Amino acid sequence: MKKFELNNLTRGIWKENPIFYLMLGLCPLLAVSASLKDALGMGGAFIFVLLGSNVTIALIRKVVPAHVRIPVFIVVIATFVTIIDYSLAAFSPQVHKNLGVYLPLMVVNCILLGRAEAFASKNNVINSALDGIGMGLGFTLAILVIASIREFLGQGTLFGISVLGKNYLPFLIMIMPPGAFFVIGFLIAIKNSFGGKKNAE
Amino acid sequence: MLNELNLGFIFLSAFLVNNILLIRFLALCSFIGMSTDIKASTGMGLAVVFVTVVACSISWAVYNCLLVPFHLEYLRTVTFILTIASFVQFEEIIIRKKSPVLYNAFGIYLPLITTNCAILASAFLGIDYRLNFIQNIVFSLGVSIGYCFAIVLFASMRDRLKTAPVPASFTGVPIAFIMTGLMSLAFLGFKGLFKL
Amino acid sequence: MKKKDIIKGIIVLLSVTLLSGYLLAQVYSLTKPKIEQQKKIEEERLNRDIFEEGVKFSEDNLKEIPCTAVYDINGNLIGRIFTSQVRGYGGNITIKVGFDNELKIVDVKILEHTETPGLGSKITDSNFIGQFKNKQGADLYLKTDSPTGQVDGITGATISSRAVTEGIRKLQEQLQ
Repeated sequence: MKKFELNNLTRGIWKENPIFYLMLGLCPLLAVSASLKDALGMGGAFIFVLLGSNVTIALIRKVVPAHVRIPVFIVVIATFVTIIDYSLAAFSPQVHKNLGVYLPLMVVNCILLGRAEAFASKNNVINSALDGIGMGLGFTLAILVIASIREFLGQGTLFGISVLGKNYLPFLIMIMPPGAFFVIGFLIAIKNSFGGKKNAE
Repeated sequence: MLNELNLGFIFLSAFLVNNILLIRFLALCSFIGMSTDIKASTGMGLAVVFVTVVACSISWAVYNCLLVPFHLEYLRTVTFILTIASFVQFEEIIIRKKSPVLYNAFGIYLPLITTNCAILASAFLGIDYRLNFIQNIVFSLGVSIGYCFAIVLFASMRDRLKTAPVPASFTGVPIAFIMTGLMSLAFLGFKGLFKL
Repeated sequence: MKKKDIIKGIIVLLSVTLLSGYLLAQVYSLTKPKIEQQKKIEEERLNRDIFEEGVKFSEDNLKEIPCTAVYDINGNLIGRIFTSQVRGYGGNITIKVGFDNELKIVDVKILEHTETPGLGSKITDSNFIGQFKNKQGADLYLKTDSPTGQVDGITGATISSRAVTEGIRKLQEQLQ
């Protein structure tokens, strides 16, 4: 592979979007998507960890023997997760509180381990970094889409700013667990119907 | 925060009211990807129960007896996940030696348990809620049985779904999510259970 | 697997883990003071929300119940703040109650709760929680629970309303 391919960055955002296309890392997606602010926080933290772990693993990929690579990847990922965990607690306590237990839970997020295994361990640092940013942006995009629907319907606000006015009777289910499942079900169904049309042509 | 020492309360809360899958959204990857066969789901569920209870107990011990006295709490993420991963690896080796039949039955599911968010979450929550050792065991039991319950329910429903008329773009994952949403809605009804 | 490979594997894993531990220790020592500071700022902000003239806060207890004593700018004790937990509809509700020196309620704040959004969550509205201001030795019962009750519950959220009311009342009874 060439030393530097922009393709790695854009791939993760749409074509191979980790959520809608690869269907990985769903747990934090649904849990933290009731409000746009939290979603943004989660997305940012995710990009940080993915970028950090991809770069680190790409750096040490030649030194790590194959049979211990999974534990090593896990330790690297866990380290970055802990760093962002404490950094957020120190500098943005409100965001940290809202993310709650889902922040440290990123450690077992399939996307992180998946990209480490599938990409960062086989490519150079720059491409791995781009891949990390791309996939991270894709994840953030997905979580923002879901959050905007849920917050808009469930509270009538976007980023806390009231959009539909005081008389809007909120569709409360949307900000509760079932709402998250319904939204993502419908979104994937919509995506499928587009994909189906393409196949038919 | 659970101030009550009442073990039944802790168990019901973990199992039903705050069901790890349907209310807390955890362990979804294994849920969506796998629950098409009731037998396989039950097997996976029981394996998760076993791993969760033991791994969470070990994690609790490591945290309270090793990390806290040395003021190393910030290492908990790293140590917990390493504990769970090693335990799963260990379990895999033992099962492979003692019962190759069981090992083959589990197939790929066994190593997959490591990335099961529910187990790690159970370990974290046990610490966050400041449970003692016995409470932690009951809690992790509730969480894992809640997971098992949910995936078995789901697998049996998916069975029925195979013969139901579903719109084309909904087949597969989307209708699975909608169904999960409905199940989640039902479980929300357990919220008032606290006043028992 | 050759023995050499296993040893190399263990060495790599160990070094990565040690490096990680060292890195995390650094991050921890860097962020710890900031985290403590944030906690203090938040606590003080809450305390000042209840007692506007409070400038100094110290740990204290009344009848063996832990609380925060509040002093004004002249060093006078103007009241005490108690934190307690009650079991609501969806889980525990953490409340902070400020009493003045005559055990009159100055204000009540809800810190944490997991009540139903849109219904039980209304306990944080000033329409409900503001009712407790300036009440002293009053009949802290919901109007629907007792003929001498003075608290208006929230429509559709009786259990949440009752839980908070009970919590404040029990605290007051303990302090009499």
